[in-house]
Amino acid sequence: MAFWTGTRSTGSWKAWYRTLNEKVLTRHFGVEGLHRIDIYLKYGGYGAAEKALKKMTPSEVLEEVKKANLRGRGGAGFPAGVKWGFVPQNIPKPRYLCVNADEGEPGTFKDRYLMSHNPHLLLEGAIIASYAVGIHSAFIYIRGEYEAIALRLEEAIGEALGKGYLGEKILGTEFGLNVVVHRGAGAYICGEETALLESLEGKRGHPRLKPPFPASVGLFGCPTVINNVETLSNIPFIIQNGAEWFIRQGLPKDGGTRIFGVSGQVSKPGIYELPLGTRLRSIIFDHAGGMKDGKKLKAVIPGGMSAPILTADEIDLPMDFDSLVGAGSMLGSAAIIVIDEETSILDVLEAVAKFYSHESCGQCTPCRIGTSWINKIVRRLAAGQGEPGDIDTIVRLASNIKGKTLCPLGDAAALPILSICQKFRSELERYIPHA
Amino acid sequence: MPKIFIDGQAIEVEAGWTVLKAAEAAGVHIPHLCYHPAFAPEGSCRMCLVEIEGLPKLELACSTTVKDGLKVNTQSPKVVEARKAVLEFLLAEHPLDCPICDQAGECKLQDYFEEYGLFRSQFKETKEKREKKLRLGRNLILDRERCILCTRCVRFLNEITKTKDAGVLNRGLRSEIGIFESELIDNNYSGNLAQICPVGAITDLDFRFKTRVWLLESRESICGLCSRGCNITIDSHPGHPRIPRVRRVYRIRARENPDVNSYWICDYGRYGYASLDENREDQLVWRKDGRLTRLSWDRVVQILGQKVKSLTFHRRTDRIGIVLNSNLTNEELFLADRIFRKGLGLHKFWLADPPQEKGDGWLLTPERTANRRGLQEIGWPLPAAEPRELLGLDLLLIFGPYLASGPGLADLKSVLDKVETKALFTSHVSGLDGLVDFIIPVPVIAEKGGSLTNVDGRVQTFAPALGFEGEGLPEWRALLDLARELRVDSKYFWPMDTPRAVFLALQREIPFFRR
Repeated sequence: MAFWTGTRSTGSWKAWYRTLNEKVLTRHFGVEGLHRIDIYLKYGGYGAAEKALKKMTPSEVLEEVKKANLRGRGGAGFPAGVKWGFVPQNIPKPRYLCVNADEGEPGTFKDRYLMSHNPHLLLEGAIIASYAVGIHSAFIYIRGEYEAIALRLEEAIGEALGKGYLGEKILGTEFGLNVVVHRGAGAYICGEETALLESLEGKRGHPRLKPPFPASVGLFGCPTVINNVETLSNIPFIIQNGAEWFIRQGLPKDGGTRIFGVSGQVSKPGIYELPLGTRLRSIIFDHAGGMKDGKKLKAVIPGGMSAPILTADEIDLPMDFDSLVGAGSMLGSAAIIVIDEETSILDVLEAVAKFYSHESCGQCTPCRIGTSWINKIVRRLAAGQGEPGDIDTIVRLASNIKGKTLCPLGDAAALPILSICQKFRSELERYIPHA
Repeated sequence: MPKIFIDGQAIEVEAGWTVLKAAEAAGVHIPHLCYHPAFAPEGSCRMCLVEIEGLPKLELACSTTVKDGLKVNTQSPKVVEARKAVLEFLLAEHPLDCPICDQAGECKLQDYFEEYGLFRSQFKETKEKREKKLRLGRNLILDRERCILCTRCVRFLNEITKTKDAGVLNRGLRSEIGIFESELIDNNYSGNLAQICPVGAITDLDFRFKTRVWLLESRESICGLCSRGCNITIDSHPGHPRIPRVRRVYRIRARENPDVNSYWICDYGRYGYASLDENREDQLVWRKDGRLTRLSWDRVVQILGQKVKSLTFHRRTDRIGIVLNSNLTNEELFLADRIFRKGLGLHKFWLADPPQEKGDGWLLTPERTANRRGLQEIGWPLPAAEPRELLGLDLLLIFGPYLASGPGLADLKSVLDKVETKALFTSHVSGLDGLVDFIIPVPVIAEKGGSLTNVDGRVQTFAPALGFEGEGLPEWRALLDLARELRVDSKYFWPMDTPRAVFLALQREIPFFRR
């Protein structure tokens, strides 16, 4: 494959066909009963875990993951191997792994598919990660609404325990790991890693001040690795096929594929596993079947609701972390929300403003009061009681939230609101009487 | 030691210090609301954001630790804007009921708006309606509209009293401080919550709507209600032409002293201020044949001096008795020792103190007097006063009203009736008043100067925080006057006319006080 060095651009059928064969995480999704351990084993499951535990040292595993340039799939895109490397090894405290399965970002629905179709893949990734960092207890923090998936995960853990892939002396080695599934109670903020830790400890889901970072002081004050479901699900493939193979699936700085969750007014909404660097236009028009009912595209939110919005003219860009940052947005959780011309941008703004004011945890001032203040103005605009200067106020408030809050939720609220107000200002102003 | 720069000013700081602490040491105030030096930084108010060279975002001064060569800017346009923004957010949902708020005048939000805000409100929306007077504890009322959710109260209850009675309920804008439904905050330190609240959200039922803080005069003093010697500030009303003064002291606040009471005082001390104004002895009187006569101290000291002189002349020193108490200052106890024991050679001394009560295991001690340790160190192992031991005396000098608080007041009456002359130095009215010949009003600790030795042996000096308005005089002056009248060691006592001078002599003579 010669095109791994560049970004993928063609919107041709050929390219689409190629990507079909490049599926990694979702390759066996069509297999009936994949969530059962015997089927999973039939398709080569736990092979990577066996390879790691029996043939590699923890530091070799860590090096391989570092080399693969696997960037976190939760949203921030921090290199997973580097994160593991931060965990101090010479302290007497236990270390923990937390799997972030909170998946609260609006528009995001990739982890639920991964966990419900292939829970053992996540467990295998968790085993390898734990082996690399020296962890013996892992927690899967899953959002409360995913009840059936939580049950399925627990079933999978039971199966793995029965077959000796979890518990003490995994595969006859000295390494042991326990996995506990913990269900959240329905707060977006608990997807933020430190709020997740607080919640897991049984406290109120409030983000912690950083530093210290969870890698040194995390769950119960112990070093903790927190990884997204998709991130961990990639680990077995890196171990099985090597870092170089993994990089070839994506880009040199962004290894692997990405599961894009496409929603909104497209013909075929759903998840699409594609190489990192696939063009946004291609995802919408080639893979997701184009716009629903042939309507015109108005805007796209490319990385979950907290990503700044892109207009219809801005979608010719490769979907990878750096390209999207360059375009003033972010890849985030790779959840693509497609908005057509018939959707009022005020409705979009209202949805965004309402969501963040509802989900702000209330701990720090700019986010607590800023998001709700913006929400109140937007509600007034939607009720037809807008006043001249309201949009300026929204922009000013959002800028005052940006970069000044305790956790990333403030930025997550401010950035989309700012981008909507800037890029669709004239449309918004039409909702203000006598403006 | 790391060297850092605050607004260009180089300063050497200790490793591990936060930027806020370092700035404070350099004399630069960084505004903050949620930060309190007694707790771990919370970082939620976002008021203390500063610019640190080389970092893209503004950083929290309260939680960023210093590193060598750190360049902090607390005045850059970005910082000024951020402060304004935080104030704008806080004030948007603030009720702005300063005219009826007890915190007005000492409110951090008010002060910071004056200093860093001064903008016109852009808030056109409806403010949230919340509970205005929620009973939180014995003396605490919470106004949820004024609350800025700094969580100092929650952290105080979690980290200091460890009672964990309060928490934040709900989420986002609906967040509010709450307690368990059935249980009020009830511990001996709850009064501190009203003091650490940076705004008027938690107010003291005892202080609510009583006065305005700018009418009060704040003076430093030492709490004398137990032997801990907590450092306090007494807020009193200096009088105002239009406000008739019903009482002087409106509240007592904790004053920081890391070696004694940190930032806190107990409720026993905080709410015990009524005793400063109530039941006070005001008039110097001579009770003779059932009639009260007003007279001056000069006359009293002559009469008492005469009595002592005639008894010592006839070598009947065993007919003179002295009852002391351990609320007297080091200086007074020392003077009593020098004059009565060493100077006159008396040997009938007793102690009458309020009875011991239960301590709370932290600041409040079982002894409810201020200077028990000082008494010990000056060398007074005194027996408790028993009424029948007072039999056969001709002259009895009683310091303090506590003899009356012991058992057997009836016994005491029959005994005291047989003592020819009895003088009582007391700050408060008590059952003893009717049993003695002379009543000499004396100031309480808050009204006099001197020093006290606390339970840990720490000697703390203090100046009068309140004026003494009775007709009498402080005990140390009374003792010096007596010494002069009796011409005891005149050269020794002659130069002494302040507690400080007495303390210097005390230091010279007793090694303990030289530490």
